[in-house]
Amino acid sequence: MSQTGEAGTEAEAEADVETDDGTFVGTGLNRVEDHRILTGEAEYIHDITPEGCLHMALLRTTHARADIVEVDTSEAEAHPECELVLTGEDVAAEYNPMPSGLSGIEEWALARDSVKFVGEPVAMVAAPDRYVAEDLLDMIDVAYDTQDPIVDPVDARRDDEVVHEELGTNVPDEEEFVFGDVDAAFREADTVVENQYSWGRISGVPLETAGVVAEYDTERDRFDIDCNIQLHTLVDDTVYEPLGYDPDDVSLSVPPDVGGSFGTKIAIHRYCVLAAIASKKLDGTPVKFVEDRIENLQGGDMHSSDREYLVRLACDDDGTIRGLDVNFVDDFGAYPRYPVNQTLKPLAVLTNAYDIEHVRYNYELVLTNKTAQTAYRGFGVPPHLYALEMAIDEAAREAGVDPYELRQSNLIGPDQVPYTLPSNNVYDSGDYPGALAELKDTVETQELTEGGLLDPEVVAQQREEGKYRGVGYSVHIEPGVSGSDWTDRQRTDRETLENRSREDVAELPEYLQGSVDEDGTVVVYLATDTSGQGHQTIVKQLLADELELLPSDIEVSYLDSAEAPTEYGTAASRMAVMLSGAAQGLAEAFADNFERLAATHWDIDRTAVSYRDGAVHRANSDETLSLADLAAIDEDYQESLTAAEYAYDHPASEIEAFDEALTRKYPVYPTAAFAANAPIVEVDVGTGAVEILKFYSLRDCGTQLNPTIVEGQAMGGLAQGIGAALLEEFSYDDSGQPQAITLFDYLLPSVTNVPEMELLHTETPSPFTATGAKGTGEGGMIDGPASIAVAINRALEPFDVVVDEIPATPHRLRRKLRDGDE
Amino acid sequence: MSTDTTTDRPTREISVTVNGEEVTAEVEPRLKLSDFLRNYVDLGSVRVGCEHGVCGACTVSVDGDIAKSCLMYAVQLDGKEVTTVEGISEAGSLHPIQEAFHEEHALQCGFCTSGFIMSAREFLAENPDPTRAEIKAALADNICRCTGYQNIFDAVERAADNMEGD
Ligand code: FES
Ligand code: FES
Repeated sequence: MSQTGEAGTEAEAEADVETDDGTFVGTGLNRVEDHRILTGEAEYIHDITPEGCLHMALLRTTHARADIVEVDTSEAEAHPECELVLTGEDVAAEYNPMPSGLSGIEEWALARDSVKFVGEPVAMVAAPDRYVAEDLLDMIDVAYDTQDPIVDPVDARRDDEVVHEELGTNVPDEEEFVFGDVDAAFREADTVVENQYSWGRISGVPLETAGVVAEYDTERDRFDIDCNIQLHTLVDDTVYEPLGYDPDDVSLSVPPDVGGSFGTKIAIHRYCVLAAIASKKLDGTPVKFVEDRIENLQGGDMHSSDREYLVRLACDDDGTIRGLDVNFVDDFGAYPRYPVNQTLKPLAVLTNAYDIEHVRYNYELVLTNKTAQTAYRGFGVPPHLYALEMAIDEAAREAGVDPYELRQSNLIGPDQVPYTLPSNNVYDSGDYPGALAELKDTVETQELTEGGLLDPEVVAQQREEGKYRGVGYSVHIEPGVSGSDWTDRQRTDRETLENRSREDVAELPEYLQGSVDEDGTVVVYLATDTSGQGHQTIVKQLLADELELLPSDIEVSYLDSAEAPTEYGTAASRMAVMLSGAAQGLAEAFADNFERLAATHWDIDRTAVSYRDGAVHRANSDETLSLADLAAIDEDYQESLTAAEYAYDHPASEIEAFDEALTRKYPVYPTAAFAANAPIVEVDVGTGAVEILKFYSLRDCGTQLNPTIVEGQAMGGLAQGIGAALLEEFSYDDSGQPQAITLFDYLLPSVTNVPEMELLHTETPSPFTATGAKGTGEGGMIDGPASIAVAINRALEPFDVVVDEIPATPHRLRRKLRDGDE
Repeated sequence: MSTDTTTDRPTREISVTVNGEEVTAEVEPRLKLSDFLRNYVDLGSVRVGCEHGVCGACTVSVDGDIAKSCLMYAVQLDGKEVTTVEGISEAGSLHPIQEAFHEEHALQCGFCTSGFIMSAREFLAENPDPTRAEIKAALADNICRCTGYQNIFDAVERAADNMEGD
């Protein structure tokens, strides 16, 4: 069932799109992925249904916290169409627990003795059709002994009751980082601003839910698993470990088309494991499972950041920010997936674009009876930037200065980059004050004039009707291209950490493999998966330039987890940068092999041949060998010289400035894409409703490999930022019941919520990367929420209201406005 | 809760015109139209994103009106005509709306795309020369989680321009 075949990439009329010098990188080459999707031919996971396939359904608990007394499956088992029923005990009898994001917690694919969040699966069934499978669920009786759930993360820290008995605490991890002389900064500052900010539990909620089709091979005792897991070559351990098999015996293949992930599908291993177990129990009959939306929202293991912040800023009267003190509690639910990584990643953008020397950063990771948290676009950074920017706004108010001026005067200057943060990450390049000034100029020219959205007359008129307009200016850094081994910092004891040297640092490279087909087509294999980012197009562009071919001469496909080396893949805004480096390396390896093959064939010295323009040329003659010729020759020699592979290390590994951070396991993100944002909002102070009238954003991600795709990522990210800022939230009531289990309750932005976006672009190439590109897959979701909150604060200045809860729903803003009036 | 463990659940025979072809099938009354189209007629363009009528990924055309196929049962379709993305253009070619989506980069993951195309198609058939506000209203029932909508907007506008005079 491997998906390594061609994925229907239609070619473009390329002559229309190349640049003047005949290259393709930097052009908005239309995507080669589109045709198959537009015609409905694309196969997503829900389209894969092998002959004779059975369908799995999961019984999920409706209790937030309970002991399982008894599971009675007899009635379901007696049903003539029931093929299989499994409980937690059945799984535990033969398999392993799932890997946990924190040591000391045991989690099983099906709950064993107790349930810890609403939606946790307790039993599975398999039947010839999903409707019947769901009927069978109604025939399973589970007796529970319920307890009061632990819901409030702040209270949970008291450990009056604990989520995991074996852990003995609800705060399994906390750490305080102090950079510089924070106490002195706060002691000596003219003013200290302090406030609390809350960031509601949100997530990516891709339009396609999680899915899997697993097939056990009885003869070879191994599994073929098609699924839409993200990072299938990195997180395959989450599947083979619970199964108790070697990595080579569990191949995960991801369809070339995945209906969005945004980080969330990293953690769908539970489904893969259960479908695989079922297929094995059923002697190799394929078993399919696709999450329905309600399952996805309440128990899909995919919620993300849920934080309570306390932020302090030490400021001087002249506007200098001396110190920053960030404390937060992050509610990870019952089973954290990537907890410490998410709480630590903000260290990579610790002071955002501000030059602040003394910083304290302190987190407490809390467990409650809620759905597990996993990754979502930005991976813990968006709440940090939001809390920091709100504190800046309050500091400006306290000092009575324009927040734009306060920001400008504290931004890192262009003469300071590369800029090393107190937490040791390095910003590669950029003119942040310049970008902010340019954006302000644009907005004022277009909107402050007669008839513009900020025309003072219009603004005054609107106010008469209770509608307050405001524009907020802020700059945000997107940390790009993670790759070092910092992500297991919590598992390294502090002494070992002190004694580490640069040599101890593991790297996570990006791998490409390729070969030449009979007709001369270069087929390239990615060791990662894709969920809409256009990687096939990007790789075609990069390799076309490197090998001096046309994009249509190149096919791009994917490796499964058993074929590929353990890779990092599509996360942390890595791909533009990592694929740039990998494509260069692969092309060099190819050219080298081609030249060797040609030299052998002609029986001449290597120096007398050279590869260019899609062929090897023989010196001092007209003789050439095309790629098709080389493929034929290679057949004869059997030397595999028309195949090549390359693993591109990681840009930070070459740069001394990152050594300290790498060695100490601080988050290293060597590219700093940035955005200066200016959303214009209008708040109806009667209803509390916020409308974004227009969103100005000046964005810079270094060299743009494909400006069309870059802009698409920016706009999509901003739309998610708008959702996070105004609409989306997974809230829970006091009994631990999730309040958003349909898309009627979890509000995704529609075309009516997303305003016209005016995007401006500058290109400040990264000095650290192969093509000058910077990672930019997460941008809008990272910078959107904070910048919208800044704009709301500006609009509500007359009421002295600052957004301290995200999402800023009408209800919350109305309450703030009312309380502010008192 | 039912204790009936027999497999003889009731079925009904339906006859539906799907993309111009007559399809007859024996289906359970509880079978959703979306599942019928996907699993019985093998029309993969019909995507299922929520099954409760919010996302619009499953949008098809029923007797010339758009419908969310996850909110209908197959038996309701007896005697009616359904059109899906598979039926809007000749094999191998693209409908002007599909073309415009490609040109404007109006899709990323593409899971929403069929639904948007079907909504846009019905809309443009009735409003060949729409205003931005009308386009917005027409697309309000479809969710896209990837693109931020602007390119979808532009694609529908472009399609309207390209189809003028058709
Ligand atoms: S699947 Fe029908 S509206 Fe979402
Ligand atoms: S392109 Fe992914 S949901 Fe629209």
